[in-house]
Amino acid sequence: MKIIKKRWVQICLAIGLVLLATVATYFDSGLYQKPIVSIDRVAQQSKTKGTDQYKNTDYQVVQKIYGHFTNTAKKGDKVTITNSYAQSQLLDERYKPHQQILVSKTSPKVYTIQSTKRDAVLVFSIGLVIILLFCMKFTRGRLLSSVLINLVIFFGFVQALIKLRTGDLVLLTVITAILISVVALIVILGPTKDALMAFLSAFLATSIALLFSVWLLQLSGDSGIHFEMVDFGLQPYFGVFISQVIFSVLGVILDETMDISSSLIEMKQEVADISKKTLFKSGMAIGKELVGPLINILLFIVVAENLNVVMLYLMNGNSIGYTLDMTLSLGVTQLLISSIGIVLTVPITSFIISQMVRKKVS
Amino acid sequence: MLYLLITFIVLLLIVTGQRGLSLLLGLGINIFAIIALLILIADGFNVVVTTAIISVIILVVAIYMNVENSVTANISFKTSLVITALILLITIPILYWSSTQGMGVEDQEELEGFSLSAGVSFPQLAIATIVVNSLGVISETCVAITSGLNEIVMNKPTLDQKTVFADGFSVGNKILATQTNTLLFNFFATTFPLFFLMNSLHYGWQEIVNDKLFGAEVITFVVCTIGVILTVPITAYQVSRIDRKKIIASTKEQ
Repeated sequence: MKIIKKRWVQICLAIGLVLLATVATYFDSGLYQKPIVSIDRVAQQSKTKGTDQYKNTDYQVVQKIYGHFTNTAKKGDKVTITNSYAQSQLLDERYKPHQQILVSKTSPKVYTIQSTKRDAVLVFSIGLVIILLFCMKFTRGRLLSSVLINLVIFFGFVQALIKLRTGDLVLLTVITAILISVVALIVILGPTKDALMAFLSAFLATSIALLFSVWLLQLSGDSGIHFEMVDFGLQPYFGVFISQVIFSVLGVILDETMDISSSLIEMKQEVADISKKTLFKSGMAIGKELVGPLINILLFIVVAENLNVVMLYLMNGNSIGYTLDMTLSLGVTQLLISSIGIVLTVPITSFIISQMVRKKVS
Repeated sequence: MLYLLITFIVLLLIVTGQRGLSLLLGLGINIFAIIALLILIADGFNVVVTTAIISVIILVVAIYMNVENSVTANISFKTSLVITALILLITIPILYWSSTQGMGVEDQEELEGFSLSAGVSFPQLAIATIVVNSLGVISETCVAITSGLNEIVMNKPTLDQKTVFADGFSVGNKILATQTNTLLFNFFATTFPLFFLMNSLHYGWQEIVNDKLFGAEVITFVVCTIGVILTVPITAYQVSRIDRKKIIASTKEQ
């Protein structure tokens, strides 16, 4: 009875704290130097139908935004801002009452919108995860601390990247990837020999897949891949691309090695005199089942990331073939390299574990 | 790229044998489904409805072609449908509030020469993006938890419903941790170029936390994680309710 009561207190506390944090960030405009306007009401002024050269119909809408300042010396003053947006809202936005916006003064009495204030909704959605974790019997501490440690490592990576001006990008990524996979393995498996074996397998599989793929790409002279389409055209194109591949495949390969290795280790504990060959074969059998779903995970993530730009190309009168070539050639290359890694992980992990595993003396 | 494709297919067939053929078929169907989704949206069909329908097709392929045990497949499919619906329900209000659709000012250079009033509803496309992003993770999580729990039930058919439900969380712990990692590392992959760019544009923390692209990535990560978390109780509930004899019979079939 007491335990149940304690759980309810915890859940209520979590909900309370998250709501408090959300409300606090909603009203945190005092922390900002830029003027912030809270929107009281909006009125549509005009709506004009337009057709572009590709016969797409869209509407250009002008809305008048009535709001008041929530910070700076003007706090409480009323303000009216005119906003024009396309109904498809690719770059511009339709503003709604109770949203908050960061504005800047362009000429006396005229303000333009710089950005929507989004901090409260981010705090709220992260809070939602925390509440859900508290509602269920997960081991929250380990999960949250591993996410936090990884975020800190990532923050360090970005700082180093900014200092070194992307010159050593790939090297930095490799170091970061090693660090975050060590954290992930230690959190899930504990600081054991099992974790070491899983780490070796993941490291080898990823390295072999990457080196092999890079070699293959050079062999074909990088033909047909638009490396210049990398996010924001960031230089060096190839380095940025490879770093993105490493980060994106890492989680999946770690998942795979852990699954295979833990099953094989368990098998060794149950049947002590199992031969290395049988272990290797079982590893291959387990791995076979994992390959498909893991490739699927990355497939959908890659497609989702590019959905906006694909649609923009399609709507601008490009054929589906040209669109996919321009927008998804990088994504597909990324997916292929990752898939090679996922496939290679199966024999590599099975081999390493079957050679290294020993029966634990209990 | 052709070399990569050939290498992938050859390696896949060597490692997985005959299974590789059905894996390739499954991947092929999913890719076609996605291309169909793109064409339908471009032709002006309602984005959310089209995404929902295509998602169901993708889930059928992703689950039934990868899972041999029929009980596991049925439970996973039901769960993944519920989760996809829940993700839609969570995503719509959050995106309405956050306005993180479309592209950011950071993309502007890339967009030169494009007609930007393209007539597609980008707020709706943002919803589709999150749903598509979650499909792989959700189907894999559903299958992993269901088969893990089924194994427990098979080894100890006498367990009562409450214990099975509670066991779902111990199976779920590890899966939740690995899937969170996958999602988090993909968040890293997409955001490090963004952070680098923000630095060269001299963004302060105020601009970063309110940035559209950053917000969109955070929300994608968070909503997919919520989907993974919710999978655990829903799967555990279903496995604990189902007739034990069915689970045992289905494993004997193979």
